[in-house]
Amino acid sequence: MLALQTWIVHALFIFFTTESVGELLDPCGYIKPESPVVQLGSNFTAVCVLKEKCMDYFHVNASYIFWKTNHLTVPKEQYTIINRTASSVTFTDTSLLNTQLTCNIRTFGQIDQNVYGIRIISGLPPEKPKNLSCIVNEGKKMMCQWDPGRETYLETNFTLKSEWATEKFADCKTKRDTPTSCTVDYSPVYFVNIEVWVEAENALGKVTSNHINFDPVDKVKPNPPHNLSVSNSEELSSILKLTWINSSIQGFIRLKYNIQYRTRDSSIWSQIPPEDTASTRSSFTVQDLKPFTEYVFRIRCMKEDGKGFWSDWSEEASGITYEDRPSKAPSFWYKIEPSHTHGYRSVQLIWKTLPPFEANGKILDYEVTLTRWKSRLQNYTVNDTKWTVNITNDRYIATLTARNLVGKSDAAVLTIPAYDFQGNLAESKCYLITVTPIYADGPGSPESIKAYLKQAPPSKGPTVRTKKVGKNEAVLEWDQLPVDVQNGFIRNYTIFYRTIIGNETAVNVDSSHTEYTLSSLTSDTLYMVRMAAYTDEGGKDGPEFTFTTPKFAQGEIEAIVVPVCLAFLLTTLLGVLFCFNKRDLIKKHIWPNVPDPSKSLIAQWSPHTPPRHNFNSKDQMYSDGNFTDVSVVEIEAANDKKPFPEDLKSLDLFKKEKVSTEGHSSGIGGSSCMSSSRPSISSSDENESAQNTSGTVQYSTVVHSGYRHQVPSVQVFSRSESTQPLLDSEERPEDLQLLDNTDSSVGNFPRQQYFKQNCSQRETSPDSSHSERSKQVSSVSEEEFVRLKQQISGISQPYGSGQMKMFQEISVADAFGPRTEGQVERLETVGMEAAVDEGMPKSYLPQTVRRGGYMPQ
Amino acid sequence: MQAQLLRRTLPSLVLGLLFLSTPAMGICLDKYQELFGQLQKQTDIMQCTSLLLDPYIKSQGLDKDGLKEHCRERPGAFPSKDALQRLSKREFLRTLHTMLGSILHRLTALQRDVPKAQDLETLNRAKQNIRGFRNNIHCMARLLPDSSETTEPTPAVPATSPSPTPTSDTFQRRLEGCRFLHGYHRFMHSVGQVFQEWGESPSRRRRHSPHGGLRKGVRRLQLSRRNKRLPPRGQLPR
Repeated sequence: MLALQTWIVHALFIFFTTESVGELLDPCGYIKPESPVVQLGSNFTAVCVLKEKCMDYFHVNASYIFWKTNHLTVPKEQYTIINRTASSVTFTDTSLLNTQLTCNIRTFGQIDQNVYGIRIISGLPPEKPKNLSCIVNEGKKMMCQWDPGRETYLETNFTLKSEWATEKFADCKTKRDTPTSCTVDYSPVYFVNIEVWVEAENALGKVTSNHINFDPVDKVKPNPPHNLSVSNSEELSSILKLTWINSSIQGFIRLKYNIQYRTRDSSIWSQIPPEDTASTRSSFTVQDLKPFTEYVFRIRCMKEDGKGFWSDWSEEASGITYEDRPSKAPSFWYKIEPSHTHGYRSVQLIWKTLPPFEANGKILDYEVTLTRWKSRLQNYTVNDTKWTVNITNDRYIATLTARNLVGKSDAAVLTIPAYDFQGNLAESKCYLITVTPIYADGPGSPESIKAYLKQAPPSKGPTVRTKKVGKNEAVLEWDQLPVDVQNGFIRNYTIFYRTIIGNETAVNVDSSHTEYTLSSLTSDTLYMVRMAAYTDEGGKDGPEFTFTTPKFAQGEIEAIVVPVCLAFLLTTLLGVLFCFNKRDLIKKHIWPNVPDPSKSLIAQWSPHTPPRHNFNSKDQMYSDGNFTDVSVVEIEAANDKKPFPEDLKSLDLFKKEKVSTEGHSSGIGGSSCMSSSRPSISSSDENESAQNTSGTVQYSTVVHSGYRHQVPSVQVFSRSESTQPLLDSEERPEDLQLLDNTDSSVGNFPRQQYFKQNCSQRETSPDSSHSERSKQVSSVSEEEFVRLKQQISGISQPYGSGQMKMFQEISVADAFGPRTEGQVERLETVGMEAAVDEGMPKSYLPQTVRRGGYMPQ
Repeated sequence: MQAQLLRRTLPSLVLGLLFLSTPAMGICLDKYQELFGQLQKQTDIMQCTSLLLDPYIKSQGLDKDGLKEHCRERPGAFPSKDALQRLSKREFLRTLHTMLGSILHRLTALQRDVPKAQDLETLNRAKQNIRGFRNNIHCMARLLPDSSETTEPTPAVPATSPSPTPTSDTFQRRLEGCRFLHGYHRFMHSVGQVFQEWGESPSRRRRHSPHGGLRKGVRRLQLSRRNKRLPPRGQLPR
């Protein structure tokens, strides 16, 4: 009731306030903007402006305005009173696509009046079109398509633009139903690059795609080859030749092809290898096809370099390969019917037609031959698939071949047994029973089985032999028994083997095997082996076979000998290497460095030549102050009766010094020694006689320098290894000690002299090793000095060897050297020579002697 | 002397400016070999009489016995092969560009005598092809290195294809059109041969290659050309 009243009031109000129809339609205000298009998600503000006339009439102002969207009042928080006549409303994050917005006023406190209304359209600006691509269908205009991007919810126009470098083409406007593709109006010009792009535009913006630049010939989709035809070859039943006509674009570009084929009843296409059809052509021969088979072909083409698009497939064309001779003989069988004629019977041969893949053509007829035992064959040509013939009761062989245009198949053979054929089966004979099922449409696959009427033990046993004999095993092998002697199914074999003295061992072996390995055999043993074959009814032994196992396994001897030899060789090699590495040590122990007497220049000593003169002459040559070096020589005088000349020379030197410096002599050396051509020997002999000791006299050698470029021994004095008693002092150290104490004043001097010599050597040699050697010499020399003192003490003893006497003389000479000029000079000369020898071939021959000091005789 | 030089150079400069002032819009193919290949393919297509002459003869009823013999190129209408071969690359391209412009005009005029829509389409296609060819020539000229020596004598080739003497005789107009098309295909054949020489002569290509220095070679050619007195227009060797 209230609603009715409201409606009536409303109607009356309109009626009375409206003066004319025109005024009825005159709005009371308006909204700005009039037709807004708003981007989704953005803010939007609309302003409603009231007309003065309306305001006066209704006594309203902007504050009376309220907004509605789709008939729902907008909250007043979104309103803004701009002035007396205008009010705005703002929407944030516009999400509605299509909104009706009205500006309203409330008059008289209760009547809502619509002032103005607009429709807000929302949407999105166009996205940049992507994936622009063009295709030139041969003989047609170029068509380009693209991905327009997201939905804009607005009407968006796409324009395809294209141009050459020198010419601009007309724009291509998309149609409403195909907004993502456009076909240009002009014919494409091949071999001229064209630049194409798309412009998308709607109320919210305009955007351009990437430009693409291409030669239209690279975008061609050719028309498919047409007039495809297929022809076969009488020479080859496996080929078909295709010919076709290429599209006219062949005049511009080179083509490649896809050729597909299938048999008529198949739906799966096979394809010719693309590499075989990669160039322009108008025919192709397909090979490896089945004879007399219908094939369906189709072909398509595209630009040879792969640019562009494949054409559509051509219309299909079919062809049948030529015939070939039947690949298989037809299966056939027979039915025997009793004949009314005595001695004859009616045999019906039946076969079925070959399937197409075996017939390889149209079967023209069949050829049947019948052959009675040892008689002539008879040929019959049959067009049907069955044939009845009257034959005798004998056994017959029937053959059947199928023939087509090309040739005949192989023959199928069938034996027709004799009429009176009855089973005459023997016991213990193997029979092969074959059963062939015959169905309504022909025979099935036959099944066969071997059978015995009654089994018996084999009539012969298997013959066993060895295949390989090892130390502890033997491989036995045998042959299967022939069917004739099996007399039944061989179920298993038993192998018996034994040694001469051992028990027999039996091994069962499955009948399917033909070899067996006996293991755990004893080596170097004779074995006897035999074998038995068993059927269900019993067994039969075969002949016995003997073999002997070897003592050693194959390779065993080699396995022992080779390592031993290798070990021996290795040991020898190591020994040699050791000796080689320690050759100096070994040589030192076995062959000490011995001066070579053959190099001696002093062959004889002439006692008639007064040594003093020589020394005197030397005195003239060398001044006193030239005493720089001295060599001390220790001469070995063993049992060897041939002392080295160098030793002899040294000995002579000392003896001469002794003679020259001292008039007193022990009587052992002296002139008697000097007069001898072998002074050391004679002195040695004298020592022997004097001492009454054993004949072996071994003393040390003092080497002043190297021998033949050898580094001189570091031990200037080395103790002899001889067990010969030397001196009493040596045996009685207390005497030595006593001597040390008592003759210290005497012994000091030669000791100093000795060290002086060594020092002088060290000075001449910058070599540090040499220095070390000198130190060794120093340390060793102290021991030797003790010995020297012992020898000195030996002077007072009534006995002593010449050698000892010599040392004695040296010691005395050293001790008293400075007092005696000539003696000192003599020593000096020798020492100088030793020093000079440092840089010369090592020899302790005094060069001064060579120069005239000595006169070798 | 100066006047003579000016007389020589002025037409060349004008032609050069016209040639070079073609408004550049899209992007030229900047690969010499590809562009050269395109030009060769285009000449191969455009020299083929089956595209323009043969349909014209058939449509105009000139394929009758005895008439074909009259459909021969008018001497001097198009530059001879020898004349084209004597030009430098730049000159050659410029000449070609100019000749093709003339041919386009002539084809437009020829369209008036072709009432059949099919023949019109054929002519339109031919014109479009020629425009494309000109575009490629423009691009090729841009690929060639800049040569300031454009003061060489104007090539002794017709700047524009001679328009036939206006005649109201329809048969004569048809025959003239046929002669023109015959000359056009022959001209394109000659152009193709020149392009083939470009491809076969590496030294010449090198001289004009955008990648190599060519001034020396160009100068030598120009000198040799200056010493030759080219036959007057209309008497070009054929």
